[in-house]
Amino acid sequence: MKLRIPRALGMAAVAATVLATTACGGILGGGGEKTADSGPIKIAAVIPLSGSSAPTGAYMKNGMQMAVDEINAKGGVLGRQLQLDAEDEACDPTQAAAAANKAVSNGAVISVGGYCSGATLPTLPIFQKANIPMIIPAANSQDLVNQKLPNVFLINGTGAQQSAAAVKFMVKDGVKSVALVDDNTSYSKDIATETKKDLDADGTVKVALSTSVTAGESDYSSVVHDIMGANPDMLYWTGYYQEGGLIINQLKAAGYAGKIMVADGSVDASLIKIAGGSNAEGVLATMTQTPDTIKGAESWIADYTKQFGSAPGPYSTQSYDAVRVAAEAITKAGSTDGTKVIAALEAIDGFELFSGPLKFTPEHTLSSGGFQILVVQDGKFVLKDALS
Amino acid sequence: MSDNVDTSTAPRLIGKPASAVSRLFESKQLGWAAFAIAVVFPFVIANNYAMNIATTAVIFVLLASGLNMVVGYCGLLDLGYIAFMAVGAYTAGIVSKAFELPILYTIPAVIIMCILSGLVIGGPTLRLRSDYLAIVTLGFGEIIRLTANNLDITGGPSGIYGIPGIELFGLDLSAPVSFYYFCVVVVALLVLGSARLGKSRLGRAWRFVREDEDAAEAMGIHTYKVKLAAYIFGAVWGGFGGLLFAAHLSAISPQSFVFLQSALVLMAVVLGGMGNTRGVVVGAVVISLMPELLRDMGNLRYVIFGVVLVAMMVLRPQGFWPARAYEPERPVPDIDPPGGGPGKPDGGTRPAARGRRNRGAGDAGADSAKGGAA
Amino acid sequence: MTQLIWNGLFVGSFYALVALGYSMVYGIIKLLNFAHGDIYMLGAFIGFAMLTSVGVIPASLSITALLIVLLLVMISTGAIGVAIERVAYRPLRNSPRLAVLITAVGASFTLEYGVAAMAGPNPRVFPVRLEGQTFDILGARISAPQIVLMVVAVILMLGLNSYVQRTSMGRAMRAIALDPKGSLLMGINVNKVITWTFFIGSALAGAAGVMAGAYYGKIDFLMGFIIGLKAFTAAVIGGIGNIKGAMLGGLLLGLLEAFGSQWLGGQWRDVFTFAVLILFLTLKPTGLLGERVTERV
Repeated sequence: MKLRIPRALGMAAVAATVLATTACGGILGGGGEKTADSGPIKIAAVIPLSGSSAPTGAYMKNGMQMAVDEINAKGGVLGRQLQLDAEDEACDPTQAAAAANKAVSNGAVISVGGYCSGATLPTLPIFQKANIPMIIPAANSQDLVNQKLPNVFLINGTGAQQSAAAVKFMVKDGVKSVALVDDNTSYSKDIATETKKDLDADGTVKVALSTSVTAGESDYSSVVHDIMGANPDMLYWTGYYQEGGLIINQLKAAGYAGKIMVADGSVDASLIKIAGGSNAEGVLATMTQTPDTIKGAESWIADYTKQFGSAPGPYSTQSYDAVRVAAEAITKAGSTDGTKVIAALEAIDGFELFSGPLKFTPEHTLSSGGFQILVVQDGKFVLKDALS
Repeated sequence: MSDNVDTSTAPRLIGKPASAVSRLFESKQLGWAAFAIAVVFPFVIANNYAMNIATTAVIFVLLASGLNMVVGYCGLLDLGYIAFMAVGAYTAGIVSKAFELPILYTIPAVIIMCILSGLVIGGPTLRLRSDYLAIVTLGFGEIIRLTANNLDITGGPSGIYGIPGIELFGLDLSAPVSFYYFCVVVVALLVLGSARLGKSRLGRAWRFVREDEDAAEAMGIHTYKVKLAAYIFGAVWGGFGGLLFAAHLSAISPQSFVFLQSALVLMAVVLGGMGNTRGVVVGAVVISLMPELLRDMGNLRYVIFGVVLVAMMVLRPQGFWPARAYEPERPVPDIDPPGGGPGKPDGGTRPAARGRRNRGAGDAGADSAKGGAA
Repeated sequence: MTQLIWNGLFVGSFYALVALGYSMVYGIIKLLNFAHGDIYMLGAFIGFAMLTSVGVIPASLSITALLIVLLLVMISTGAIGVAIERVAYRPLRNSPRLAVLITAVGASFTLEYGVAAMAGPNPRVFPVRLEGQTFDILGARISAPQIVLMVVAVILMLGLNSYVQRTSMGRAMRAIALDPKGSLLMGINVNKVITWTFFIGSALAGAAGVMAGAYYGKIDFLMGFIIGLKAFTAAVIGGIGNIKGAMLGGLLLGLLEAFGSQWLGGQWRDVFTFAVLILFLTLKPTGLLGERVTERV
């Protein structure tokens, strides 16, 4: 024992020295978080850049970068340049927490990321502890605002707003019975549950079927069988386009003649391709404003396409707007201090976004989701009803 | 910390003299050194990010040491290990949220739930052949995840959020650095515990079952009970991992408990060397840091994982840092009876090392590590 | 009711095709080939690559093109299966089971994420789509492509069955399944037979992959994972190692799933499937048609 302990300590000392010489900034080095008052203003974006949601993450990152470049070209914010710090979360909660911490450690003063609701939830307390406001452009689960954290702002319509739009259209369209099918992810289930609640409250439309499927499979014949059995006027699919396309295809093959409506996660050109042939013609969708459906956005689309070599996609506009809202709030606050920026965000009234003038509700969500109804026509989603 | 040495094969390995490197790897102080590195680390880098990935790594070490008892010691391939972590995490999350309890008060519930789920999952399946067991555990892992996704009490697909951090004697340990230290201490104790278990009478029975189940049975070991014990210990370790995980992330959802995670824990055990706690600890640290280091490589990193798994089994099945004397192919006539007395030498594969590496020395090393941890 | 039965049988025939490879390999070398489901995925992607490289195929030729591609895919996935056996499994033929299982998991990972890295993680849309009219038979709505695929699946399975029963290679396979050492002593080239087994099993899985791609239209790199598990379940239900058992098990599992999700709701279907697997393994590990297998020590 007597011999051993000094040797052990010796090894520990060696290990410590090795570590100490490789880096600095620990407890003793006065590390921790630094928010510089000069130099660029760092904007964090925790978004999926790998994994199955990577394409959307890229659309988001491009939209953000575009806003950052435009603002910087005009002289930046408070005389400082903006700098985007995009961190990959791969839609995985563990990686998202690491990414959020990394962004905080890098000195971010505001966050504009958040796509997968499940991966965004663990990042909320991390940003909250660092007193960093979050403007979430895409993730829209009700769970994000249920905790009533002061720093969380949603600029995408929530599930409740989307379902309200869906129900409004169903009533308007004279639909008598609806089948609700979700894919058992938090986003999808949220919309389906809210829609069911709204329909039950409204009373004019009957919920003929409410069920879930497992995402990532090929054969949806059993849910198709259920839908055929329930024989609704309309199917409302609240999941993503991969499964949505398959379900549309298999429904049509089974001879389904009713209407089909999908939620915003299914609004993608691939939905039409997977559905095959002309199966997707006439499919309706609840969707927030996209560049394609916004009048006067052509020049924005052209600029985006010029800068990134491809057309914008889902959530490009919301991400672009998130950065602009962040810049506006920091300008109004006159500082990057979290508390002041949060107050400035709450005070914003009438700031123009793609989805209309912005004013946050006390819940920190959009006062109106800006949802509208699209329809597939000649293989493309086009505006059917603005619902205004 | 442990050297799962099967004394019986020791005389057969007489040959090369121990090299300096090999002596270093076998050194008793390595556990100490690892612990020292873990303690000193925050003095070097203490930003939130470093603390976050370090905490994740430490929790991963705990998971790997738990799985090591099942796969490494007992030779049962468990492809759904993450299910136990899910059970622990959900139990901790649900109980602490429902009764507004500090999360540490949920430990008894976590232990009970993990033992129960170990019994439920292990009970019917451990009588199966080893390869059936693998696929059944995979099936159970999926069942647990899908059930968590479908039930309301588990929060459905969004899971549970707003889980409180660690609080001990009125002290708030939820700040990154203090939570990291808390994890280091807990994990060091549990890793030490698993290493000690591996050297105990039960641990020797596990290895006996791994090497030759029929012979073990013939020697009077109740193989089913022994395997179930490994399973339950593994489950409890996984449950603790889940509890720390829940406190660490504050939000848990079914996405955290997919098959990929089970495969990564298995990878850590295999890479490090099945049955050798030190190797497994190193393997776990490497595997858990890999996604951070290879952040930009995306899917390619899993290709690398796959290739490494295959290459490892083909070229070096014992792992980079194997337990000594892991020689499954060698028939061993003079097998150490599993109930061998505590006085028996339990270490030493080489004559040069034998004198020092008797049981007493092994315990001293382990005890001192424990003293440092407590 | 008839619709449910038909749906179950149709999905079950995919399970059966994949289960055959599982079952054959297991029957002969007692190896649980985890990568088998991924061969199915690989088949779909190779078919996708071949069809897209040809360019636009006129609708009138699509069935012919598909059959040619089916054949080519079967040869290539067969070859890949053989290669995997050579590289990953053969060196470990005499190692502990644990080592081989881990290798199989590794091979599965490599295939899945290798495809993800090469073809991208997004789902792809299969260029050729089987379309056709539908018939009403006994109250079930059955489409022409479904019938074509069922016929192809049945032909493949019957062909395999007569191959194993009639040819000398088939006899050798059965001999090795019974007693590998004895077969070796009797002059059977064990390695050659194992190679053939992998070839046939992988070719069938690849064929199922192309058929799934052409019928469902969407393929992605993880499509093999779940079907691999389901196929294993099917093999276990029928009696693993038994060819007729695998076919029976596949169809039965399809039916069980169709009715199970009807009773319990779609989100519980996989839970139900795995519960069936565990029940079978604990209560009747030999399956419906399997014979008692004594584990070699």
